[in-house]
Amino acid sequence: MNDGPGRAPLLRARALHKTYGTTHAVQGVDFRLMPESYVTLLGPSGCGKTSILRMIGGFEDVSSGMLELEGQPLNKVPAARRPINTVFQSYALFPHLSVAENVAFGLAYRDLGREAQRARVEQALAVVRMQDFAARRPRQLSGGQQQRVALARAIVNEPRLLLLDEPLSALDRRMRKDMQIELKDLQRRLGVTFLHVTHDQEEAFALSDWIVVMNRGQVEQQGAPQDIYRRPRSAYVADFIGGSNVIPGRITARQGEEARIETALGPVVAAAEESLRAGDAAALCVRPEQFGQAAGSAFEAVVTHVVFAGSGWHVELRAGQQELAAQFTEPPETGAALRLGFDPARVWIARAGEAVA
Amino acid sequence: MSRTGNWLAAPVVLALIATCLVPMGVLFAYSFFQVDFVAINTDPTLKNYAKIIGSETYRSLIGRAFLSGAVVVAITAVIGYPVAWFVARRGGEWKSALLTLLLVPLYTGDMVRIFAWRVILGAEGVINRFAQWAGLITEPIQVLLFSPIASHLVLAYNFLPFMVMGLWLGYEALDDALVEAARDLGAPPVAVFRRVVLPMTLPGLIAGGMMVFVMVVGDYMTPQLLGGASGVTVISAINDLFGTAFDWPLGSAIACTLLALLGLFLAVAAYALSRMNLGRSLISGEA
Repeated sequence: MNDGPGRAPLLRARALHKTYGTTHAVQGVDFRLMPESYVTLLGPSGCGKTSILRMIGGFEDVSSGMLELEGQPLNKVPAARRPINTVFQSYALFPHLSVAENVAFGLAYRDLGREAQRARVEQALAVVRMQDFAARRPRQLSGGQQQRVALARAIVNEPRLLLLDEPLSALDRRMRKDMQIELKDLQRRLGVTFLHVTHDQEEAFALSDWIVVMNRGQVEQQGAPQDIYRRPRSAYVADFIGGSNVIPGRITARQGEEARIETALGPVVAAAEESLRAGDAAALCVRPEQFGQAAGSAFEAVVTHVVFAGSGWHVELRAGQQELAAQFTEPPETGAALRLGFDPARVWIARAGEAVA
Repeated sequence: MSRTGNWLAAPVVLALIATCLVPMGVLFAYSFFQVDFVAINTDPTLKNYAKIIGSETYRSLIGRAFLSGAVVVAITAVIGYPVAWFVARRGGEWKSALLTLLLVPLYTGDMVRIFAWRVILGAEGVINRFAQWAGLITEPIQVLLFSPIASHLVLAYNFLPFMVMGLWLGYEALDDALVEAARDLGAPPVAVFRRVVLPMTLPGLIAGGMMVFVMVVGDYMTPQLLGGASGVTVISAINDLFGTAFDWPLGSAIACTLLALLGLFLAVAAYALSRMNLGRSLISGEA
């Protein structure tokens, strides 16, 4: 995407490793953050995403590998001297200081007059619409308000890179949606690169220009959200990102973009991940909404559970040994045998792999 | 609370009154009497208090006791912060073992510790002999022992565990994310301590400091055995007035004055503590 010629990356991670004792939290991770982009590190807990964030912030030493900011090595620079600021998961607002004093905290280490400082604090609070709360203490604010103050405290220093560690995880669902829009909007207005760590794939899709999917300390896939959603490289990504049905099988033929896969649901010819060759183990990925009760359908499945899911009905089925999840507009009878199918032009064949733990 | 509970608590309350409040009351009453040759004149008078206020000696003894308290609080705080940090943040599974170890010197008794320090600090002591052997000095350094240096050093050594306990509690209540946030915002190490660690651990510092201060003011064995000419303290003066001069009323008056000043000091410290968020949570136990 934004990897065009002439654009240097803002931050580059090369063969990044982090080891705690005998635990290898991060195992050889490479990625680039382009200027003015919103990037998400996405993965389940324990996948190493927070360790990466903490190494970039300067709170953890890099075990091996390189971090470069605008071409300059970053490994040995102390946290206090990195032009990078962090929004912590717990917000980490100073409880003994007022909102304005919290926001002004970092400005003391810059060559700014008292007046200029105050103007910057006011401006930053206005950006997050908290100017009326300047005199309050953090404990007098709601979670969403504390979140905004934490944002103001970080952006007032005009960082080159803003790190956000699961910033929305403590908020309720409604507030989270609102804050997602605000975060994206803020990133566009400020033109600062945001690196956001989350385990919530919906959040990643809503915010990101670029998603780095992590699994067990390694990058499983990275790319634009649409690419990752449509063409997940592995069964792991398909499951984690789209909640796809992952149906194991084996490639029997490969031609151009497409491949033929033998599965428990029968043979399917569909677009396939580029490295797959005849004989490889692979996985057919079908998202729940792609199943339909069409004429000339391919296989028979028995309904095991039906759950109302607001916009439709979430239906669990069993086809032989294979369990499937589907989304229907009308509820079928539990125990009914249905003939199901899907449009091969819309499904995808990914590399086989472990499922999400 | 039920009626039975009140009755069950009654013996304790009575014991406290008999063993604590009554002697204090007697002491307080004596401070208004006068010595008449060898008898005690029980006509109430404020002469004893007037004497204390008018006496350069007693005023300076009380002042010195408070100064010693402040100095020892400062010394124990400077040493205690790194120790408390280590126990709280690096102690891991050894935390309770470390805290117990910290208290072990207290089990040995004052006299043993004081004489141990004599062996270390004396003219023929470990430090002087080593420095002479190493060629750093030719004559033993006399001020090491029987001087204010010696008594304050040993007072700090004696009461350090209490300061560490207070500071350790302070560190346990400090969220590491706040320290990281301060570093993230560009604060150099000294500023991280001054602007975040110090205010956040202040309740622990005040709690530890109050204990150390009160104990230093009340200690007289250490200055007497190690302080040399500076060994005369307000407590030893009270001891002399009761023991050798038989001027119980004046002794009582000095004791009451000291008690009142300490009470005032504690009240100010407790007020300061209650004004702070963390102090409130420590006192009332609310999160």
